[in-house]
Amino acid sequence: MNCHEASAMIAAYADGEVDGLRGHTIRRHLHLCRDCATKHRDLVDLRARIRAEVPRFKAPAALRERILASVESTRPAVKAMPARVDRWRWVSAGALAGCAATVVAWVVATAVLDWRTNEDLAVEAVTTHVRATLGNHRVDVASSDQHTVKPWLSARLDYSPPVRDFASEGFALVGGRIDYLDHHPVATLVYRYRDHMIDVFVRPPPTHALPAPLRTVRGFNVVHAVGSGMDWLAVSDLNAAELSRFVDKLKE
Amino acid sequence: MSIDRRFEKLILPHLDAAYNLARWLSRDAHDAEDVVQDACVRALKYLGSLHGDDARAWFLTIVRHAFYDWLGRNRPAEIVQDDGAALELAVDHAGATPEQAALRSDQTRALAEAMTALPLQYREVLVLRELEDLSYKEIARVADIPIGTVMSRLARARALLQRSPSLHAVAGNVSGSER
Repeated sequence: MNCHEASAMIAAYADGEVDGLRGHTIRRHLHLCRDCATKHRDLVDLRARIRAEVPRFKAPAALRERILASVESTRPAVKAMPARVDRWRWVSAGALAGCAATVVAWVVATAVLDWRTNEDLAVEAVTTHVRATLGNHRVDVASSDQHTVKPWLSARLDYSPPVRDFASEGFALVGGRIDYLDHHPVATLVYRYRDHMIDVFVRPPPTHALPAPLRTVRGFNVVHAVGSGMDWLAVSDLNAAELSRFVDKLKE
Repeated sequence: MSIDRRFEKLILPHLDAAYNLARWLSRDAHDAEDVVQDACVRALKYLGSLHGDDARAWFLTIVRHAFYDWLGRNRPAEIVQDDGAALELAVDHAGATPEQAALRSDQTRALAEAMTALPLQYREVLVLRELEDLSYKEIARVADIPIGTVMSRLARARALLQRSPSLHAVAGNVSGSER
């Protein structure tokens, strides 16, 4: 090993990221080479100083309590309300109305939040679709073979999306890529239907949003559905009816 | 297990890590609390998608997202593109401010201040590595960059620290050989 090779690995070695034979080779080089040994020692010193002198901040107790309280409050909000109405029949009509108003407000607020989430998700999906099209980076793995695309995606995600080709019905599998949607890496299946490109984002169903089945964002149709244990979000300039028909096939 | 029980079991143990990251990224105690609170709301919402056991890296990823969203809303000018030359300029500039010079006298705080002055992209990998003890792989996941980029940013961050004027003790014999 020469100094050039060693210098590329000294930091990784100091970070404990090099082991086995390569670790042994570096150790030997450090014994023989003064310059590299100095670099290594400086790094080790710096790391030790950071650990000794730089504070690791602890979450303030008040923050912890606030977060705990907000988590607790999500628990009884749904279930306890009707039970309480049932049990405390003698509660005055005014109080009942108050409870009802709270429930209504909660339902409305939740609906608005879900609607916002869906709207944001649709916009994000369309932006991702447009970026892929403009950047000419449509696929990370180009293949019409589902047995190539699926393992490629599975190897890079913590779930395994169903991948099928529908070429016989006009929807030809072009390939797949990994995108970042809704703060998570997501499998994107790319299909072609005549001249239309279709991006299908496949992920495990998130717990929050109720799918808004169809929207249009900047002229692109966005179809959202849940089926086969997955959440399907298709974006294309293909007309809404055809796109919905396709998503129905996908989620079967 | 209900969502709130899962939250208490999987996420809450990493609250200090979350706060530390948010605090180092935002460089402000109050802002860090806002970021962590937002991150907890998101974590609660997406908890269903947490599979496997790496809850810490998962949660830190969310904290980082919450921070960048917060940054975009509050200090958009700080989101600098990852441009080596621009960043180097930013550091040299930061090193020359009177505040920095004044801090030099306070030896015990010198290193922390130098780290605070690092550009965001370098600060975050360094905090994840040195204070949160994440592996290269975990940092790559949290910061959403390839491992090669993790390594080059770490190297850059450390070189900048070693060269920092507020850190003579460490910088002394390194600054010459580092380029």
